[in-house]
Amino acid sequence: MNPFTFLVGLGFGFLIVATRLSDYTVIHDMLLLREPDVFLLMGASFIVAMPLLWMLRRRNWKTPLGGELQLNRVEVERKHLYGGVLFGAGWATAGTCPGPALGMTLGGGMLGIFVMAGLATGIFLRNGVARHILLRRDATLHPARPTANS
Amino acid sequence: MELLPDRLPWFIGGPLIGLLVVALYAVANKHLGVTTSYMQVVTFVRSPRMAEMWRVWFFGGLVVGSLLATFLGGGPSPSLNYGALGDLLPIAAIVPVLFVAGVIMGFGARWGGGCTSGHGIGGAAILSPGALVGIVTIMGTAIGLTIIMHLITGGVL
Repeated sequence: MNPFTFLVGLGFGFLIVATRLSDYTVIHDMLLLREPDVFLLMGASFIVAMPLLWMLRRRNWKTPLGGELQLNRVEVERKHLYGGVLFGAGWATAGTCPGPALGMTLGGGMLGIFVMAGLATGIFLRNGVARHILLRRDATLHPARPTANS
Repeated sequence: MELLPDRLPWFIGGPLIGLLVVALYAVANKHLGVTTSYMQVVTFVRSPRMAEMWRVWFFGGLVVGSLLATFLGGGPSPSLNYGALGDLLPIAAIVPVLFVAGVIMGFGARWGGGCTSGHGIGGAAILSPGALVGIVTIMGTAIGLTIIMHLITGGVL
């Protein structure tokens, strides 16, 4: 499993840098609607992946390393809007996102490291908030349980 | 040494990324996404036994792949440049701006359950309704805000 996911990461990291998604100006020009390339890139990825995965799922494909194929579909919730708005705001400002920020930094764009540090901070900030909400809900549902105060 | 073109065109890069999404699902039954790999790397550093190792390895792959493309493209060019944003803001301002933008992105990605890769590339490919709403919201917000910033700064950004 691990060597395989390493290789998929390697391919993805390679393509992010080779297609220049790790370049602030490429993302900025995309978001200004100045050039369609990144939209086309995402569209091309979709056109290739969607029918193949659909077909595999339909045939109840048995994956060699992870059992029967289960596509990780999720229903729409409010959090997709809230999280999407925040993520979009950060993306517009930094002109880079998690994968490309890594590629930018490794390519010599040293300021990318501050985006990466922010990402790690934000991820754990949200995990902390989520844990807090869970604990509070738990305390309301089961007032006597000691976990409420831990 | 420059073995790679200046920029690999979308009609080569896009389909290859699509095939990686398919390969990760077809072989390992896993969903491609970068934000969770950041999370697992930090988790691994803090307490190795708690980490989801395949995501740590995936992140390791991202590092090696990025470096490979960098070196095949002529090697890293260390600089403190940051495109139009770097022209607009002094370095003392750009550092906190980038950090806060990163925090907002990390927080938003965890809250919304995905980032540009998890929702936009992996989630869209499996027609996940939540991911599709997520990526449309991300795109709409980012495009709107970028255009607003462009207008406010008189076209500098």
